[in-house]
Amino acid sequence: MSNSSANILDIKNIEVRYDDVILALHDVSLKVPKGKVVALLGANGAGKSTTLKAVSTMLASERGKVTNGSIEYDGNSINKQTPSQMVGLGMVQVLEGRRCFGHLTVEENIISGAYSRKLSKSDINQELEKIYTYFIRLKERRKSQAAFTSGGEQQMIAVARAMMAKPKMLLLDEPTMGLAPQLVAEIFNIVKELNTKEGVSILLAEQNTNVALKNSDYGYIIETGRVMLDGTAQSLLNDDKVKELYLGISKKGRKNFRDVLKEESLKKRSN
Amino acid sequence: MVDELLFFMEVVVGGLLAGTMYSLVALGFVLIFKASATFNFSQGAMVFFSVLAFCGFMQDFNIPFVLAFILAALLMVVVGLCTERLVLRPLMNASEDTVLMATIGLGYVLEGLAQAAWGVEVRRLDLGIGDFPVPWIADNLKLFISALDIFAGLVAALMIIGLFLLFKFTKIGLGLRAVADDAGAASSIGIPLKHIMLLVWSAAGVVALVAGCMWGARAGVQFALVDLALKALPVLIIGGFSSIPGAIVGGLIIGATEKVLEVYIGPFFGGAIEGWAPYVLAIFFLLYRPEGLFGEKIIRRV
Repeated sequence: MSNSSANILDIKNIEVRYDDVILALHDVSLKVPKGKVVALLGANGAGKSTTLKAVSTMLASERGKVTNGSIEYDGNSINKQTPSQMVGLGMVQVLEGRRCFGHLTVEENIISGAYSRKLSKSDINQELEKIYTYFIRLKERRKSQAAFTSGGEQQMIAVARAMMAKPKMLLLDEPTMGLAPQLVAEIFNIVKELNTKEGVSILLAEQNTNVALKNSDYGYIIETGRVMLDGTAQSLLNDDKVKELYLGISKKGRKNFRDVLKEESLKKRSN
Repeated sequence: MVDELLFFMEVVVGGLLAGTMYSLVALGFVLIFKASATFNFSQGAMVFFSVLAFCGFMQDFNIPFVLAFILAALLMVVVGLCTERLVLRPLMNASEDTVLMATIGLGYVLEGLAQAAWGVEVRRLDLGIGDFPVPWIADNLKLFISALDIFAGLVAALMIIGLFLLFKFTKIGLGLRAVADDAGAASSIGIPLKHIMLLVWSAAGVVALVAGCMWGARAGVQFALVDLALKALPVLIIGGFSSIPGAIVGGLIIGATEKVLEVYIGPFFGGAIEGWAPYVLAIFFLLYRPEGLFGEKIIRRV
């Protein structure tokens, strides 16, 4: 990872504020190597969504701003881009909570993802067919109104819609939120497939630490706007602290994060 | 008995056709509400501005009818362009209430500009279609129905078909429907909001021009057209703020009920209930069905 051109995304020490006051991210640095899947893990309010929105430049619509640090995508700084320019550059975010266009049909939803590309009708149909090979379920339901599809189907619509923009990089915000375990597995299978077959680099924010790490190459754990821990997915899965705090596997019963911090600071002091 | 039935029919049909005039005004509101979830208080001023410009082109510069109409329509596109650039884009991330206030201000600017450019007198607009009963219908069906009402009905139908085709089958129409459903998600997949805003404000401007022509031909092109837009409020409450079919049906319902109430119940109140009956109807809707007949979500604003 030393070679910077091997990274499609390089976030260096960013600080993010909402309304110029509320400090949401203190200091987050992370890298996504080309063609890899990177998981961004942490509890509610840790700053996962904020990090993703900083990258897709969608912060502005929520009155947020990157007040320090830098973000480089594909070798270029993304300071002045708008969300639609980012989509044009091949970076697409799948927002938290699926956010399908409820009154549009499934197929219209997916086609809307191609809005930024200048495609003919036949090109669009060709792309659609390709997308449907990954999302077989959606092909059967393509004439239904999106609002009447299930949560899992809506998540697939959201990812399929993003894929229509032909992204080099996908930002997935909690793709498995509120889904049954079987569907979680199905969604991750699709994500892995898109990654390997289409070569899309992926940064995904998840609370479901176990599944996310099993399907990623690298992981970052953030708490209260700071990166606490990072490493290869395998090493994080075997890490004692991660096991205890995020996977709920422990020899000495459950602990919360504050207890661990307390222990650590006590250790530091005694040293 | 037959005479009475005929008279009732005449009242209802006349009301329905007059209602399409309300529908035309309401359409402009719906377009903008769909894209920016804002009640556009300047719609009335847009009606006044556009039709006054149309009259001005014809009467002050002797430009032929069709050319003047096209010029006025183009002018409304320019107004849409300026509105997007000067008002909406700087307020892109502001709250909906802020945008709402901005539309009130925009209304005053348009009213002022219109009167500064074309003067304050009432102008006569002649569309070549009289506001009197069509003889053929009067003779054969014994119904007295104004030719202008029928024309307005046809124009309204054409506009709806046009807008439906635009939204259903074009790329930008798909973009608009996406933005109407979820603007955040739309921008996340690269639909540029500014194009959509430009489209709806221009379309609303042209719709305002058409509505202005109808009302101008009936009541004269004058400042009172601004307040006319308020009649669209009960129409929207009944039909739903975000629904184009709702604007049409709402207009028809308001048109028909206000005429029927005026004729049959009006005398008990000393007449002239046309002016306020629609608002009473609107209050009942607000109490029992606040999203309107076709509305997509509960009305929060206005």
